Amino acid sequence: MKHIQTLETRNLCESAKNGGCGECQTSCQSACKTSCGIANQQCENREQAKAE
Amino acid sequence: MIHRYHLDDYYIVLDTCSGSVHVVDEIAYELIGRYEDTDRETLLKEMQERFHEDPAELAECYDQVTALKEQGKLFAPDTFESMAGELKARTSGVVKALCLHVAHTCNLNCAYCFASQGKYHGERAVMSFEVGKQALDFLIAHSGTRRNLEVDFFGGEPLMNFDVVKQLVAYARGREKETGKHFRFTLTTNGMLIDDDVIDFANREMSNVVLSLDGRKEIHDRCRVDYAGNGSWERIVPKFQKLVKARGGKNYYMRGTFTHANPDFLEDIKVMLDLGFNELSMEPVVCAAGDPAALTEEDLPVVLKQYEDLARLMLAREKEGRPFTFYHYMLDLSGGPCIYKRISGCGSGTEYMAVTPWGDLYPCHQFVGEEAFRLGDVWQGVTNPAVQQEFADCNVYAREECRDCWARLYCSGGCAANAWHSTGSVRGVYKYGCELFRKRMECAIMLQAARRLPKAPDAEAQP
Repeated sequence: MKHIQTLETRNLCESAKNGGCGECQTSCQSACKTSCGIANQQCENREQAKAE
Repeated sequence: MIHRYHLDDYYIVLDTCSGSVHVVDEIAYELIGRYEDTDRETLLKEMQERFHEDPAELAECYDQVTALKEQGKLFAPDTFESMAGELKARTSGVVKALCLHVAHTCNLNCAYCFASQGKYHGERAVMSFEVGKQALDFLIAHSGTRRNLEVDFFGGEPLMNFDVVKQLVAYARGREKETGKHFRFTLTTNGMLIDDDVIDFANREMSNVVLSLDGRKEIHDRCRVDYAGNGSWERIVPKFQKLVKARGGKNYYMRGTFTHANPDFLEDIKVMLDLGFNELSMEPVVCAAGDPAALTEEDLPVVLKQYEDLARLMLAREKEGRPFTFYHYMLDLSGGPCIYKRISGCGSGTEYMAVTPWGDLYPCHQFVGEEAFRLGDVWQGVTNPAVQQEFADCNVYAREECRDCWARLYCSGGCAANAWHSTGSVRGVYKYGCELFRKRMECAIMLQAARRLPKAPDAEAQP
């Protein structure tokens, strides 16, 4: 029996190697204007994100 | 660090530092909870006594956990601290987003307005084209190699200075080719001045529009009134509906504020849905503690329940073929931000600044009017490096309280303005906001699990 199912996620440790291009949207700019959330931002370098 | 929680049918284990999300059964849930402080033999014996499971099954489960740990997907250590600030250092001086306060005036007199009816504790004013143009020139000049530049037309009510908005967009578009830049404009409006001209312009030029509506008519009209005290709901809803219908699928957010008057904000979301809006954002009010609108400790359990029920409503409507989006639940687990983004904070005061009608620069819209935080102006640039450094130093490791928080790589340390309002320091922590944020992340991740795994791991074992 499978006790654990792991969802596909971006490997944050791997993203340390090639991330940091800075092209992504500023966190607060889109909708909220009141609370910082990072995780719902899109990576602009999607090819890189998917490759990790 | 891991975080375990149980929500509806799902037992979920998050591994903070690898970003891994595991959907597990109850046995694995308990086993993972004890894995780090109990040896194999003792733990398997305990699990056997508790679950009466086949020992071979339990051993297999234990070995799965061990394998995940070896793969760096469970109990991954935090190795990122030395990188904190690296992205900011690398992009030091680069500005990529401006919040243009084109109108420090408003045609509504909302009781809870953090901007004091658009005046930001100062004089009423509108931005001239010359000031706005200089702001755009400042942005282009300081954007380094950044191609995508973001400009939000904000207020007060930006449509009270619509002609300048149009001129500034035309100016920016005219400079895109020569500079190799691409502008993404957004507009945040209360809707009062929306007409066909605004709709046509917004749908052509704005990559996103943020429309302020609090939901139920009685809730909306309680705060969002004109200067005669009349509610605005009846006047703006048809305008919003027309704009959204004409938008043809381009992004928008129907953005509400909830206060002490409506901690049961899910009812407001349902009204928004009934009105035909399906890209929604609902935000807790920002105001001083003790303000009648401020959320209280008694409101907290009500608010947390709304977030859970909202996730359930989303799933139910998705099954019915009537999906909607909620800003804070839009997680892209496989294509989300890299670790640099996740540890380097929101960018206020460094890559993001607000510009007043007079051309003054502030770390973000929430600090406008707080003279001590004035950074400089769009002609001289940043002339107060000490304040800028304070914001540059804000990262997820700058706040002691965040070190033990499983959600730190989802929020990056939170909102500097909220921290300052609640603690007097931009490096403080707005604990109430953290409670809400953590619940939102739990719900957002549960939604991802439910979409990808309609049946939780142990659901198939149940009769």
